[in-house]
Amino acid sequence: MIQLAPLSGGIFLGWSLGANNGANVFGTAVASRIVSFQRAALLCGAAIILGALLQGQAGIDTYSRLFPGDSMKLLLITSAVAAITMTGMTLLHLPVSTSQAIVGAICGIGLATESMQWHLLTRIVICWLVTPVGAIGIAWLIYVLLGAFFKHIPMSMLTRDKIIWSGLIIVGTYGAYALGANNVANATGIFSGRIAHLTDRHLTLVGGLAIALGVATFSKRIMHAVGSGIMPLDGFTSLVAVLAMSITVHIFAMIGVPVSSSQAIVGAIIGIGINKGIWAVKLKPLRNIAIGWLMTPIISLILAAAAYAVFV
Amino acid sequence: MFFISKQKQIELELSRYYEKVNACLTAFHDGIRQYCQKPDQDRLRENFQAVHKHESRADDLRREIEVIMYSKSVFPESRGDILSLLEAVDKVPNTTEWVMNMILTHNIIIPETLSSDILELVEVCYLCVRALLDSAEKLFTDFTNATVAIGRVDELETEADHLEFRLYEQIFKKEPSLDPMHKILLRELVRNIAAISDRAENAGDLIRIIVAKRKT
Repeated sequence: MIQLAPLSGGIFLGWSLGANNGANVFGTAVASRIVSFQRAALLCGAAIILGALLQGQAGIDTYSRLFPGDSMKLLLITSAVAAITMTGMTLLHLPVSTSQAIVGAICGIGLATESMQWHLLTRIVICWLVTPVGAIGIAWLIYVLLGAFFKHIPMSMLTRDKIIWSGLIIVGTYGAYALGANNVANATGIFSGRIAHLTDRHLTLVGGLAIALGVATFSKRIMHAVGSGIMPLDGFTSLVAVLAMSITVHIFAMIGVPVSSSQAIVGAIIGIGINKGIWAVKLKPLRNIAIGWLMTPIISLILAAAAYAVFV
Repeated sequence: MFFISKQKQIELELSRYYEKVNACLTAFHDGIRQYCQKPDQDRLRENFQAVHKHESRADDLRREIEVIMYSKSVFPESRGDILSLLEAVDKVPNTTEWVMNMILTHNIIIPETLSSDILELVEVCYLCVRALLDSAEKLFTDFTNATVAIGRVDELETEADHLEFRLYEQIFKKEPSLDPMHKILLRELVRNIAAISDRAENAGDLIRIIVAKRKT
């Protein structure tokens, strides 16, 4: 039972991830009353668990290789530091990425134990940088293609609305699948091969359930608050943003590098902004996002190294 | 399949509603024309009954559409837009009925010297509402081009405004023989006829917003 204690930090991370990121995939649909929160949470939760089980293994392998050592104490420090960073940043109202919090903590331990996997870290950081840029490009392309479809094919406004709003539910479910596949490693990746009797299949299930629980229990308020972010989104732009985010996150799930769905959706919204006129993008929230992204891994790294020095 | 049939049902009901508004407007147009040519109160009453019948039927259809809209078969955004548009368009038949009623109850006689200009104003308002209805129907066949006819609505509304002011001048400056009360009644009549194009323009503005909201 004691061996399972560090897992509680991972479960908390998964729960927090679900609570914060559920709105990225179903926020507009719920806020616009296209689908009830209960139904969205059910769809989202099922898709997250499915994504985690079917395609979460690659990310788990990456974190398993990145994490130094096998000690329960190190696992506990890493997951606790990532959880504390997440909570602190959230309390400061700064956007936070679970991937960056956990990787920052792993790096803190890696530096302290002088066992950093630099090549893996480089690969992860490159993926973090490519995430928003890729999402910008994908969103730009989807916007142009879908925009041309709606512009040049004569249809009733009701048909158009039906395509967009139904599409938002389908794309939201796909986004939840991609989120589960990509982000399950953030919750339970570091425990792979380090806890007796727990296989990777168990870890993907536990991680998926934790994320789904976060969506079900704590994402309602965030979902209803959607739309006040960096650019006001209508049905069409939400569809484009969620689809671009989902494709981006899914690609990195297949590569095996957990990335931030929030970074992907921000990139997607900028891609839409380039089409609509960049003036539509608000700069102040973007600045907060940039600060959050820079600070999260640094704080997490410092805290983990400090915790190692104190407790180990 | 259930969902598709619901949408078709709404589009069909809306099409029937626009037909009724058009029928109401045609009856109004014919009624005023006949009254200007021959001020026969009995004939006008018959035409008023026709306008009233079409207006009532349009109201019934509007209520039916509202009920269908709230049966959760339409997305909230579409529902809000369509109901606002219906409310705006509905002011057109209401105004035509009010004008006919006013002539009847106030026993307004249209002087021969003014009849051609009043008829011209009615004609312009009629065309203005027809352009609005074309545009409103386009929302359900080719919504991106629905605003094409709205430009025509604006033009006709401006023309109606010019005619309205010209008629005021005629009533108060060029008709010295008219009783002051008669002049005031005629001014009210002209104002209410011109209001038809104003209502059409307001509904047209809503169509513009509905399309702009969905512009990609």
